[in-house]
Amino acid sequence: MAEFWQQVVAGLASGGIYASLALAVVLIYRSTGVINFAQGEMATFATYLALTFMNHGFSFWPAFWLTLACAFVGGVAIERVVIRPVENRPVLTVVIVTIGLLILINGLTSWIWGGAVRKFPSPFSTRPIHVAGVAFSIQDIGIIGVCLTAVVVLGLFFRFTKLGLALRAAALNPGASRLVGVRVSWMLALGWGLAAALGAVSGMMVAPVVFLDPNMMQGILLYALAAAVLGGIDSPLGAVVGGLTLGVLLNLLGTYVSTLGGEMRLVAGLAVILAVLIVRPAGLLGKTAVRRV
Amino acid sequence: MSRARTAIRVVGVAALVVVAAVLPHFISDYHALEWATVGTYFIALLGLNVLTGYSGQISLGHGAFMAVGGYTSAILMAHHGVRDLWTIPLAGLVAGGAGLLFGLPALRLSGLYLALATFAIAVAFPALVKKFEHFTGGSTGLILNLPKAPGGIHLSSNDWLYYLSWGIGGVLLALGALLARSRVGRSFRAIRDSEVAAASSGVSPALYKTLAFGVSAFYAGIAGSLVAIETAYVNPQTFPITLSLLLLVGVAVGGLGSLVGCIFGAALIEFLPIYAQNISKQAPSVIQGLILIGVMLILPGGVAGLGRLLENRAFRP
Amino acid sequence: MAMGRKLQVAAALLVVAVAAAGAGAAPRATPGVTSSSILLGGTIPLTGEASAAAGVAKGADAYFKYVNARGGVLGRKITYKYVDDGYEPQRTFLAMRQLVQQDGVFAMFNTLGTNNNIAIRQFLNQQGVPQLFVASGATTFGRDAKQYPWTIGYIPTYRAEAKVYARYLLKTKPKAKIAVLYQDDDYGKDLVSGLQAGLGKKASRIVKKVGYDPTASDVKSEVAQLKASGANTFMIFAFGKFSIQAFIYANQLGWHPQIFVNDVSSATSLMVLPPAKATEGAISIVFGKDPDSPAWKRDKGMKLFFSIMKRFSPGDNPNGYFAAGMASAYTLVDALKKAGKNLTRQGVMNAATHLNEKGNPFVLPGIVVRTTPSFRYPVAQVKLQRWHKGRWVIFGSLLSAKP
Repeated sequence: MAEFWQQVVAGLASGGIYASLALAVVLIYRSTGVINFAQGEMATFATYLALTFMNHGFSFWPAFWLTLACAFVGGVAIERVVIRPVENRPVLTVVIVTIGLLILINGLTSWIWGGAVRKFPSPFSTRPIHVAGVAFSIQDIGIIGVCLTAVVVLGLFFRFTKLGLALRAAALNPGASRLVGVRVSWMLALGWGLAAALGAVSGMMVAPVVFLDPNMMQGILLYALAAAVLGGIDSPLGAVVGGLTLGVLLNLLGTYVSTLGGEMRLVAGLAVILAVLIVRPAGLLGKTAVRRV
Repeated sequence: MSRARTAIRVVGVAALVVVAAVLPHFISDYHALEWATVGTYFIALLGLNVLTGYSGQISLGHGAFMAVGGYTSAILMAHHGVRDLWTIPLAGLVAGGAGLLFGLPALRLSGLYLALATFAIAVAFPALVKKFEHFTGGSTGLILNLPKAPGGIHLSSNDWLYYLSWGIGGVLLALGALLARSRVGRSFRAIRDSEVAAASSGVSPALYKTLAFGVSAFYAGIAGSLVAIETAYVNPQTFPITLSLLLLVGVAVGGLGSLVGCIFGAALIEFLPIYAQNISKQAPSVIQGLILIGVMLILPGGVAGLGRLLENRAFRP
Repeated sequence: MAMGRKLQVAAALLVVAVAAAGAGAAPRATPGVTSSSILLGGTIPLTGEASAAAGVAKGADAYFKYVNARGGVLGRKITYKYVDDGYEPQRTFLAMRQLVQQDGVFAMFNTLGTNNNIAIRQFLNQQGVPQLFVASGATTFGRDAKQYPWTIGYIPTYRAEAKVYARYLLKTKPKAKIAVLYQDDDYGKDLVSGLQAGLGKKASRIVKKVGYDPTASDVKSEVAQLKASGANTFMIFAFGKFSIQAFIYANQLGWHPQIFVNDVSSATSLMVLPPAKATEGAISIVFGKDPDSPAWKRDKGMKLFFSIMKRFSPGDNPNGYFAAGMASAYTLVDALKKAGKNLTRQGVMNAATHLNEKGNPFVLPGIVVRTTPSFRYPVAQVKLQRWHKGRWVIFGSLLSAKP
């Protein structure tokens, strides 16, 4: 029985990792209608930046906030320079541009910092805590806690601030928003900036666990997409719920269904994406889109 | 279209055919192999264009259908001793079948969700291949016989592969053009432009969307089969997710909906990494990414878009 | 006037073309070899997930530059053209074709990656191009010599490595209960099969083995499963960061088995990442001199390594990969010398399959790099080492690592 609970706890910990990147994916989808394939790479780049700050004397939290600021500026800059010219183009063009960004940023990260695996300090204690035969650490809880905090902050931002409202409006109906004076173009840039900052948070939470290397987020991106789809691609809370559920589900399947271990874990995760998309595209917590003819 | 324009187009195509036919005489044996590889990408892109360009469905999983074709060929050759040429149409049919099978449940998805679903398939496929070790050779893969021109044809192996892939490519291009002009092609485009309008005009989106998947997968299967024959080795890494992404890039750069543009897309996929490495040994990916983004920003319609622009300029009344 | 100019240009071009054709038509005895140079080809992941291993090629290259500075091999300078394949066998295939069919290399050397080498092996053997000292521990490169006589490996095979661990366990902990974490591909499976073969009748000592896919984000679940098996010995047959994670989770779960970690993941730079308590006492094999180990500080071979790196590869971090590459390069130069002044592909292949090299400065003292046409495992001796207080400490005597 202890093994079962250990797997659940481990699943929640992994799930926290998926959830954090899923949040960034959901945010950018919600504010711009685009899936940014470079999300993971941007997060990795920001994490390396944080490490550089810490190697130059900053302690963790100052480096954290500084990195967030840089990521935000970076996200806005990318949107202005690279996305804006193709804003009104078909979706495919934008997708290609994000793929180009993925290749570019990944290459940049490898080039500047090299491919070796590195340690990244965690703000939370990694000392193991044992409760009833199950082990976990403050770090595992910390990751989930940070994700939930982000969800709450985002929720408040979108609901109760003018800027948040403007962002939502710009994404839902750019034409009408312009008519009421919302600067749609800048709202998109803001969306990218926020998503980049969220991605940076994800990177800095995840790196202490999986260790930092230029391809750190590639394995996680898949599961993050699965988590986002499962929870509802336009729901931040859904991203967290989806991530945690996915983590636990995959662990239990992998442990108790022997054919689903090893490489099948990935297949199981992706089967989840497919199943959700086919049966209930809105996911657990998303809003079902109604198409009016 | 004016007769002058039609004439120029016909001459252009004829010139391309002539160049393609004699190219191996003028380039080294190794370059013939490179262009043979371009040929296989060309076929894959033709298929993807039918799906994405004509029927407007974004697929990030085209590489998976190539893998189906490639592995079909490999399994037939390695386990059943089938001659390489005969496996090509079989690979196409098996992949086409897989495409139809996928097309059905995919009907419920569109745009982003379809992209995600196809992405999931492309990522999962190598893992599935590894699971069914018995057929697929697992992580080691399947080792095949080195390609050789059939008896009676005196060509080097590389030249043979070149003519094989471009020969098949030419046939498939012609078929694709016919398809585009046919009722099926028009139905595809109707669905791309507005599914609702198409349905109201009696064009069944379900039928044609599924058909588009089937056709595009058929092309991909043939391309995958050629890859297997050419490299004489398939393993789970032969058709990775990056291939699917690059194919999408190729279609966009060539120009959505342009069959001839696929040649440029295919050439880009093959030569960009090499070109990038020549510019910067340290950071070829940076160069690659920059070029991709640059091309999309400057030529959103791809090379075909540029071609149309120039054509319009030349024939301004 | 215009016509005259055109004729002149055409004539000039014609002359150049004929000259070029003439020069190209001059017959060459052996591709890639001239009286003053040897051209070697190689593929290596300079970019991508495996790019950390690129040092293997760079280290070899530095060594060749050193040899060239001292006059080369029998008067010939070595050019080592290594091309990026991003660890993708498709790209390896094309790169090899370019090197062989376009650049006309004499031999392929030090190509990295199991599937990458399988992708090119058939063609090279068909064309009679030596595939020398493959940078992969897969048994097939030594074992299948009958089918592929132009291919030879270098480092101890993964199977042999696991057998060493098995034999050590049988000797020191015969009642061990073994749990295995392995990467679910040929690399991991080779290690597992070696372990089972080495344990022989006692293979049932393996109480649980769990595979993971390299696309996973972490191996928490797998390690938890292994701990639940109640094993007291833990084999980490995992790659890079997964290996580090395994150490850390085992520790976090309060599980302190005797850990064995495979050679590829035993680099000091990786071992220092988990907390000391997690890695203390872990065992691995070693066959080369580790630049990060203070034990070799005064060693002549290590000093040579550092001086070569400083002079010919400055700005690079001289870690174990570079040293491994240099060891390989040393053996290659040895083989080239043995092949003699009249250098042919068959000649170098003969030399490579009749090695009896005792003085390689970059491998452990006492290791003899020995091969025969039917025993193509150049480095087949290793020692065990234990991780103690932040570094590897070699113990025991030289052990056989025959596959």
